[in-house]
Amino acid sequence: MSITNETLQKHLKDPAIFCCRRQKGLVISAADLEDPSLFDDMEEAGLLTLSPDGLRIEQVLGSTLLTDVEALTPITKDVLDKINETEETPAKEVVSEPAAEISASAIQTSTGGNGMIHIEIGRVENLEHLSLDIPAFAGVPVTAATAAAPGAAVHAAAPTAAPKEEKKEKKVIRTLTKKHIRITDAEIGTETSIKDGKITIDGSIVEKAILEDPLCKSMELSVIKPNERHIYTETIMDVCPIATKVEGELGSGVTKVADGVVFMLTGVDEDGVQIHEFGSSEGYLDEKMYFGHPGCADENDIIIRCNVVIQRLSGMTRPGPFAAHKCQDYVIQAVRNELKKYDGEIVREEICEDVRRPGNPRVVLVKEIMGQGAMHDNVICPIEPCGILGGQKNVDCGNVPIILTPNQVRDGSIHALTCIGPATKEMTRHYIREPLVEGLAADTEMDLVGVVFVGSPQVNDEKLWVSERLGSLLESLDIDGCIITTEGFGNNHIDFIQHIGQAGKRGIPVVGVSFCAYQGQLVVGNEYATAMVEENMDQGGFENNVAGCSCVTKEVAARAIQMLKNKMAGVEIAPAPKKWNNDVINANNRLLGLPETVLLDNGTLH
Amino acid sequence: MNLTTVAGMQSEIFVPVTPVPVFTELKKPLSECKVAFITAGGIHKKSQTPFNTSGDFSYRTIEFDTPSSELMVTHGGFDNSDINKDVNAMFPIDRLHELVEEGFIGSLSYETYTFMGGGGNVEKFKNETGPEIARKLKEQGVDIVLCTGGCGTCHRSATIVTRCCEAAGMSCVVIAALPPIARQQGAPRITAPHVPIGSNAGEPNNIPMQTAIIKESLEWVRDCPSYNQTKVLPYEYRHNV
Repeated sequence: MSITNETLQKHLKDPAIFCCRRQKGLVISAADLEDPSLFDDMEEAGLLTLSPDGLRIEQVLGSTLLTDVEALTPITKDVLDKINETEETPAKEVVSEPAAEISASAIQTSTGGNGMIHIEIGRVENLEHLSLDIPAFAGVPVTAATAAAPGAAVHAAAPTAAPKEEKKEKKVIRTLTKKHIRITDAEIGTETSIKDGKITIDGSIVEKAILEDPLCKSMELSVIKPNERHIYTETIMDVCPIATKVEGELGSGVTKVADGVVFMLTGVDEDGVQIHEFGSSEGYLDEKMYFGHPGCADENDIIIRCNVVIQRLSGMTRPGPFAAHKCQDYVIQAVRNELKKYDGEIVREEICEDVRRPGNPRVVLVKEIMGQGAMHDNVICPIEPCGILGGQKNVDCGNVPIILTPNQVRDGSIHALTCIGPATKEMTRHYIREPLVEGLAADTEMDLVGVVFVGSPQVNDEKLWVSERLGSLLESLDIDGCIITTEGFGNNHIDFIQHIGQAGKRGIPVVGVSFCAYQGQLVVGNEYATAMVEENMDQGGFENNVAGCSCVTKEVAARAIQMLKNKMAGVEIAPAPKKWNNDVINANNRLLGLPETVLLDNGTLH
Repeated sequence: MNLTTVAGMQSEIFVPVTPVPVFTELKKPLSECKVAFITAGGIHKKSQTPFNTSGDFSYRTIEFDTPSSELMVTHGGFDNSDINKDVNAMFPIDRLHELVEEGFIGSLSYETYTFMGGGGNVEKFKNETGPEIARKLKEQGVDIVLCTGGCGTCHRSATIVTRCCEAAGMSCVVIAALPPIARQQGAPRITAPHVPIGSNAGEPNNIPMQTAIIKESLEWVRDCPSYNQTKVLPYEYRHNV
């Protein structure tokens, strides 16, 4: 196929290849050339062999062919009447290597009334006070700026910034206080209580708990201390904090959170089949959980393990796993009731605010959650933080987008029934301390207007239908940008990419966040998916069955937020290399001063 | 708008383009064709080793005279309840025998091959499993290969293996619950009934629907004009998970 003039402009320095057979006497134009973005695929398929003697597009435009030339053949100087004189700049470097690091001071850009962008670079190594004026159109100035100083922090005032704009005060809508209460010990005993930092759970509570759902056949409670992690567990279904309302409703008032302890739900069915879907995490706990990640237990947490057995063959249906969560919640509620009464040491008071920041770009976070049934489901807005009772399941809601305030999310509005693979699922604890929610809410340059949860349905038509509803919602929220995440990988990537398209086609800058790497390579794509953040932390790029390994971390969130700012300000983000490469991720980490993304070796090359 | 920006960042995830075309035109009437049915949906004989649900590029051999009651599913990517009710919802072996009796197709191959495509290793399926299945089917004189995916990455694995069969000289169609994946991955032909993943070949125990989906998919193998074309089939099944 031939290319348009627009495509041509982007590829002037790329090889010139005829798209079809061309005859002697032709004057070469864009319509005769093949799209350089396809060359990799064509080379891989053996359709094309690039030659060092081949000319660049800018060299051949307007030249006349002296002989017939076959399709997909490099154009060389011996077949042309003339070659255009061009600057001997090397072809645009293929961005498979991490960007070079340059220690640079801030670059100031501003838009003047003459439609020019003025760029001033204070001091970059080997480059003193460079001052440039370039027309403020179509990405050109930004490219120039980035070319001048890759790796430099740019403070950009986009053309839309009006001079009359004043710094407006933030408006606090509501405040939530999370009191983290120190817990130092836990045991299974004869009555449920919290005393002197110690949680005791009446061991006989399990007999009542399993009455909550007939599919739950038995339950066993045990305590795993930080120094006892090398212990066998059945597959990890969820990690759930102990948190309870003492004042107000979800998202406001006061919540108490037990610090230093979490519940962990594990289970099998009556035949001993793990309650899992895509991969399972049974094994030694120290090898099967990524301690410290948002959805997981922290290194020093005491874990109260709730191990259940559910009815045979019910593990891959909706009611089975739900029964396990429901029965565990009965036990957690008993502890919550004690926590409400307990006046222990407050480790820290976390003040969360729902705020408007007028004048800042309006952004939303969209979290695609699983909605295909069985464990692919979540309970939204229960009465208690991270609870079950009173909540609605997104599958039952038709997986339509539901908007929550950042405070509601931070107050445990999502109880995850935790879909798909252990490494890539987001467990209940993840949502109460979601790094993207926390990062965006704290960012004083933006105005986080809400967090949208959208389920991923099972049927293709429904995926598209749900995505269109999300598109209308994004449009009516009148946002300036959004970040869209998904947990898991595979069929949910269809709607994930659709969601990115829904934002993109409305001109909303969008950043996508997912596990893809090797095993989860995107199977669909569109032209709006140009700023993508990888969650993978597995060496082989696989779902490695280590709970919480490859999910949204603080570093992932920081990269996503920065990419969104870049996109909104029109600062270029280079295209991804063809194959997953952790060096690219670490180059971004370095630019932002983030720690290196170290991959976990879990023998996943199979 | 006053934003701190950082130059030099690079997108971290590659967004793909469709692979090169592969297409084998069908040159006989359906009634003379030998047909095989493969699936990435994790179907195997109860007597065989189950698939590893977190990714498995091995395959199982199933003789077409195996009773459907001897088959089961091992797959973690979707709700299994429909296949538990009726294996024909993913692997319509009973319907295929009926089509031979009816004379709609000529015959079935002696045996076929099934795999679990969820999270499947692309290189292994492309370079090992796919070519091996294609060779074994071709050696049996197969003319047409029908294929169901399963979950999302199953559709990818299903399409990779189907492309290998097409490249080996058989005419193939992916019956897709997730047609965008089959299309993006370069399936030679696609039919798209409105079904959920987990019952890709039609509603369990709904014999007329299953038969119609296979018949129209076979007709699409015959009638599809060119590579990577999708025919939407007018059969809808919503399952209540």
